[in-house]
Amino acid sequence: MIDPYYLQQLAIGLSLGMTYALMAIGFTLIFGVLNVVNFAHGEVYTIGAFAGLVAITAFAPPFLAVLFLALAAGAAAGFSLERIAFRPFRRFTDEASLKSRAMRESTLLSSLAVSIVVREALEIVFGSEMQPLPFEYMINAPVQAGPVTLATGDLIIFGVAAAMLAGLQYMLKRTRIGLSIRAVSNNPLGARYVGINTDRTIVMTFVVGSTMGAAAGILVGLYYGAIFPAMGFIPGVKAFVAMVMGGLSSIPGAVISALILGVSESMATTFLASGWADMVAYGFLILTLVFFPSGLFGAGRERV
Amino acid sequence: MSGFDARMRPLAVRAGLALLLFAVLPAVLAGFDRSYYYQVANLALIFVLLAASLQLVTGVAGLLHLGHAAFYGVGAYAAALLSTELGLGFTVTLPLAGLIAAVIALLVALPTMRLVSIYFAVATLAIGQMLYLVMLNWVGLTKGPNGIVLTRGLELFGFDLSGRLATYYTVAGVVALSLVALGRLSHSYYGNALRSIREDDQCADAMGVRTARLKMEVFTLSAFFAGVAGALWAHMTGYISPGDFDFGESILILAMIVVGGLGSLPGAAIGALVLILLPEVLRDLGDFRNIMVGLVMFGCILFLPKGLMGEVSALRLARQQFGAAWRRTGNGVGIGWR
Repeated sequence: MIDPYYLQQLAIGLSLGMTYALMAIGFTLIFGVLNVVNFAHGEVYTIGAFAGLVAITAFAPPFLAVLFLALAAGAAAGFSLERIAFRPFRRFTDEASLKSRAMRESTLLSSLAVSIVVREALEIVFGSEMQPLPFEYMINAPVQAGPVTLATGDLIIFGVAAAMLAGLQYMLKRTRIGLSIRAVSNNPLGARYVGINTDRTIVMTFVVGSTMGAAAGILVGLYYGAIFPAMGFIPGVKAFVAMVMGGLSSIPGAVISALILGVSESMATTFLASGWADMVAYGFLILTLVFFPSGLFGAGRERV
Repeated sequence: MSGFDARMRPLAVRAGLALLLFAVLPAVLAGFDRSYYYQVANLALIFVLLAASLQLVTGVAGLLHLGHAAFYGVGAYAAALLSTELGLGFTVTLPLAGLIAAVIALLVALPTMRLVSIYFAVATLAIGQMLYLVMLNWVGLTKGPNGIVLTRGLELFGFDLSGRLATYYTVAGVVALSLVALGRLSHSYYGNALRSIREDDQCADAMGVRTARLKMEVFTLSAFFAGVAGALWAHMTGYISPGDFDFGESILILAMIVVGGLGSLPGAAIGALVLILLPEVLRDLGDFRNIMVGLVMFGCILFLPKGLMGEVSALRLARQQFGAAWRRTGNGVGIGWR
């Protein structure tokens, strides 16, 4: 019989992994269509959490309304992020410049700059410390499941994330916009030639990815009761690790890696002081990069 | 430029800069005689060195490095621990701090230098965060979040240099020497080999440039100078804590070289001066200082792709090439400039 403690850590790890997965999907989708890393993705997560917080303090809506407001804020953030930090640097659409290093590095740096501005602006408005949350919105009431004690948050996070993943899968595989996202990430130039509006597709990708990131933000914020302007950085790095482990453009790979990461991290807190737990993710990242440069689940991708 | 031999000009510029650094500025500082101004001047000089050392890796060799502050921190901690635990003086701790940072950089470079572009950036981010976590959590060695207080001031070969002006001269001297070394590294055949890696590492490899080894060397060298800057910082302020070396600091240094212009050493210095002095000048704006860093960085990427004093920007090269292609196809038909 396994110690219930480990089962509990496993459940916590899975729900943590699911939030990483939601974030990692945003990274993966955007990397797929643009071949660039969106360093402001962590701030989308923060924006989701703060949108929920503002809604709660302003007019105390029911939980689902908070969630949807956070999703809407995430979608808006993704849309404006694309406009501000990515669109101005996409002046050329031919193949050579789409693959050029200058293009990727300038968007990388511009998203970094935008993320600094967003974080500091939130700090000015709300202050850098943790925001107080009304107790009734916290989703950490204990739930007894056999010998294991879970929190409602674990279940809610797992449920919401699973629903969003299923929705994403449906959107990507069964709808027209999903088809164009897949087409653009497969071959941007080819997609353009067959008449797909790549700019609109890219915007849609940002909206979808950022919605998922914002969902992760509000869920984690309500679960741990910790909403503060710099909250997006660590999950952003973790999700990034999951994306690299999963092979950069593979969504199932990213989700599985995110779950592995979440579980190993929550297990690691058993043996390590919590301050060192972040080391696990960075260790995984270095090991993956050194031994599996194309990711654990990635198809052989040209490394340019 | 009549009466001024073209070959004499760089020399004159250098002499002017040296005069400014070692005569005019100290005179002004001594004139005001407020320790705050000395602090700002020293801080600016240290960040000039940090930006210049990152410039070698990111600007000249084109390797995006997102963990530079961690090596700065390693240098600072090495100097502080050598000074407090072993009682060594500044003369010994300064080079040792650089060497320790360089050795650690070499160790992490060995497995990760095969990586290219974004993978390299991510690896350096992870390495920087790992070093930061060690500084924060290895309480037994680094005292954790409480930081370390240095009890001994600056001294060089037994001379006491802890006065304000003496400290300034020490910092300025070390920074100036390091800048000369970095300048020789980046404006020489060695620097050109590094630039060839930046422009096209496969091609450079095929031409017989030992890219893997060069990348490792440049990473280590840059960490050495970051370590030296860390030692200066530790001895100058007398107190260090992990918060000074986190990811934000790495980004600040990166922003400096982006603002100044990637690949140009004077650009790095100017970028560092702008981003250190601007917040001090705008002190009245209070909380908006950090936003300024982001805004200045964003504005520079958008409007000044070459930076304030650029070398060459790849985006500009691309624009020239594709601009030519666009002119051939003409009237907006087909691919190209939109």
